[in-house]
Amino acid sequence: MKKPITMALAGNPNAGKTTLFNELTGSRQHVGNYPGITVDHKRGHFTYKDQKVTITDLPGTYSLTAYSVEEIVSRDFLTNNRPDVVINIVDASNLERNLYLTTQFLEMGVPLIIALNMIDVAKDRGITVRCEKLAELLGVQVVPIIARSGQGTEELIKQAIEVAQSEKIWNPKDISYGDDLDEVLMKIVSIISDSSFLSSTYPPHYTGIKYLEHDDQILTLGQKADPVIAQKLEQMVGAISDHLLKTMEVYPESMIADHRYGFIKSIIRQGVLTHKFDIDRLYTSDKIDKVLTNRLIGPVIMLLILFGLYQFTFSWSELPVSWMESLFGWMGGIADTTLPDGPLKSMLISGVIDGVGGVLGFVPLIMFMFFGIAILEDSGYLARVAFMMDRIFRIFGLHGSSVMPFIVSGGIAGGCAVPGVMATRTLRSPKERMATLLTVPFMNCGAKVPVLVLLIGAFFTDHQALYMFLFTMLAWFVALVVAKFLRMTVLKGEATPFVMELPPYRFPTLRGLVIHTWERTWQYIKKAGTVILGISIILWALMTYPGLPESQQDNFSAKRTAISQSYPESIRSELLAYNQETGELSKKGKQLKAELTIIDQEESGAGLRYSIAGKIGTFLEPVSSLAGFDWRTNIALLGGFAAKEVIISTLGTAYSMGEVEVDASDSLGERLVRDPHWNSVVAVAVLIFIMFYAPCFVTVVCIAKEAGSWKWAFFSMAFNTVFAFLAAFLVFQIGNLLG
Amino acid sequence: MTLKDLNKKCRCLAKKVQQCTVSQHCVGQHGPLSETCHAGKVKICKITGDRKLCARMASLGVLAGEEAEIICPKKGSQCLLKIQGGTLSLDHTTSSNIIVQSV
Repeated sequence: MKKPITMALAGNPNAGKTTLFNELTGSRQHVGNYPGITVDHKRGHFTYKDQKVTITDLPGTYSLTAYSVEEIVSRDFLTNNRPDVVINIVDASNLERNLYLTTQFLEMGVPLIIALNMIDVAKDRGITVRCEKLAELLGVQVVPIIARSGQGTEELIKQAIEVAQSEKIWNPKDISYGDDLDEVLMKIVSIISDSSFLSSTYPPHYTGIKYLEHDDQILTLGQKADPVIAQKLEQMVGAISDHLLKTMEVYPESMIADHRYGFIKSIIRQGVLTHKFDIDRLYTSDKIDKVLTNRLIGPVIMLLILFGLYQFTFSWSELPVSWMESLFGWMGGIADTTLPDGPLKSMLISGVIDGVGGVLGFVPLIMFMFFGIAILEDSGYLARVAFMMDRIFRIFGLHGSSVMPFIVSGGIAGGCAVPGVMATRTLRSPKERMATLLTVPFMNCGAKVPVLVLLIGAFFTDHQALYMFLFTMLAWFVALVVAKFLRMTVLKGEATPFVMELPPYRFPTLRGLVIHTWERTWQYIKKAGTVILGISIILWALMTYPGLPESQQDNFSAKRTAISQSYPESIRSELLAYNQETGELSKKGKQLKAELTIIDQEESGAGLRYSIAGKIGTFLEPVSSLAGFDWRTNIALLGGFAAKEVIISTLGTAYSMGEVEVDASDSLGERLVRDPHWNSVVAVAVLIFIMFYAPCFVTVVCIAKEAGSWKWAFFSMAFNTVFAFLAAFLVFQIGNLLG
Repeated sequence: MTLKDLNKKCRCLAKKVQQCTVSQHCVGQHGPLSETCHAGKVKICKITGDRKLCARMASLGVLAGEEAEIICPKKGSQCLLKIQGGTLSLDHTTSSNIIVQSV
């Protein structure tokens, strides 16, 4: 068996690394036309002609200097793991900027091969790249590919394996950075080599360049490794920095970058690149940007697009959602008629079918929502949304890069706060990051959407999309106001600049859209079938046991007997025959049935109130009733601390247990509308509370992990719950006053 | 209000709208990118601001002497700058540190 080979995929953001990774490994990592989708590295495996390969997808970077977390992750991986070969994905339609990173790989001296991606896009733009010439000038192999279709990938892997297996020694490339810097660099490299300074991690030439670039991470490593040498190097770099600032008004890192770009230009001008059209012409993408990001009409178009997304989701999903409701109603009916009375029947109907069915019923809606978001993301429009929103985010003390965590968390309704919290890693300022981290759970995640849909559908039937849109806007507004409050109080600090390369607009591929939609929907289904099922059964048990004491059960039985005895024998026989589906009910018979049903409801209600969950709900009722929540709603809200999806399933269970003998096909919305305790004011108060109270347990753990302290996680739980309750209280009280 | 007054007011409003939407050419003018009022080509004269910003800009190819194209000027806020083959979105803080000259 051949020795396994390790490969790393590196390149600029949006160059197609993850697309190639998925193509090679057959995995379904999330690919988006938005910079910063891959924050951490991901590993996959494949076999090519008996050769086992482990491949790592690195986050997109423009340089290998520690300016951002992605750059640190990529560089650390390359230095610590030393892959056998680095596949540098280069966007052929944007060669100049992409080769900037290539020059840094060459400076680092890593075994390299270039995958010249998107040659089709370059061709459409009239750009032709002479691969042989580029390979000759750079001294590395260049393979043209189209990662999306898989064209050229086999040749790429074949050549990458050859590079990995070759005995070639990869020495760092010596690029001139101008006389002043070259002279100092030579001296620095000599000191580093003589003292073996950081030599176990980086080549001396590379360490020297990083010292000149004032790379924070390398400076810290140097101080730890050998403070005396480090200080000497820093003094030398300090002297040349002062000299360059005085004479040319530039820092050494700018000078180095300038010479790297000069090196790239010198290569490109040697016949590597030919343009069929005018080199300065604006591409279609730029022309679209002139309209879509226009100061005046851009935001209007953005709002229209988002509103359109809601219209599309609600109008197209209405029918399949009603089918799902009917399906679970039918299943409930079947279970009701076929299973014998007892705890198992109760658990299956109230715990499993009403609980999990309530969550799964929204799968079509979630699917349509994710499909719409996938179109926006894959087309490149989401990146423009981030750009346009930056101006607004600034006002509230956040950063343009905060937009993506907000969107991922459910900014366009239907995300999840867990990846949203993780996506805050792209933010460089710790305070902006913390403010984003604490406010992303305010977004309407996929678990909150069904609750919103249920209550809006039940109480505001006529304008569902409009109300959904308004509640989404409210989530944004509250998140931004809270962020501003945090940035003015506990998270005071300077704002950091927003700089992002916008990806070109691309037509989303159907395969990409289907994968994105399915991967997110599957997450939702999986959660419903595992976590939610478990929590639903636990909550059902809490709502069922210990059960009414025998004395109270006897009381209800006595009441039933008394009512039955008050009717003639013939009417009682008539009801018995009706229950066995062998006869019809007379007027008197119907009256008896109604009276007995009232007793059954009273008993079931008393049983629920006597249960563990009922006791907790009742205990909280004196306070929660100030915001309009009764004890049954309290049970659902407590369940929501575990997972927000549970709210809807618990409401389903609580309201099905409180009303026995109700038509099994009744939807939860209909039951709530019929309940005397619920009205539109209560619905809005409950919605407000659900939108803004403590994040679910998984998000809280994630906040603690990302913030590096449980203090912030507890702060998030306490602050959000108090804030949500006050908001719900105000809505309920003012709503009642206004009638 | 006379017709003349109304016409004057309308023209004033039209001018304001024009300032927001239509390009104004001010060739040869020096100034921060954030204050540049027209779409079109500019030459980068200097990058000011702190060391990290200068380094970040340099790594993205925003260097003194380079030519760039403003795609979407948003005077006083952000802008889209086409440079080195890519399109950069820059906020006000960043664009006010890039001194450009119209060409």
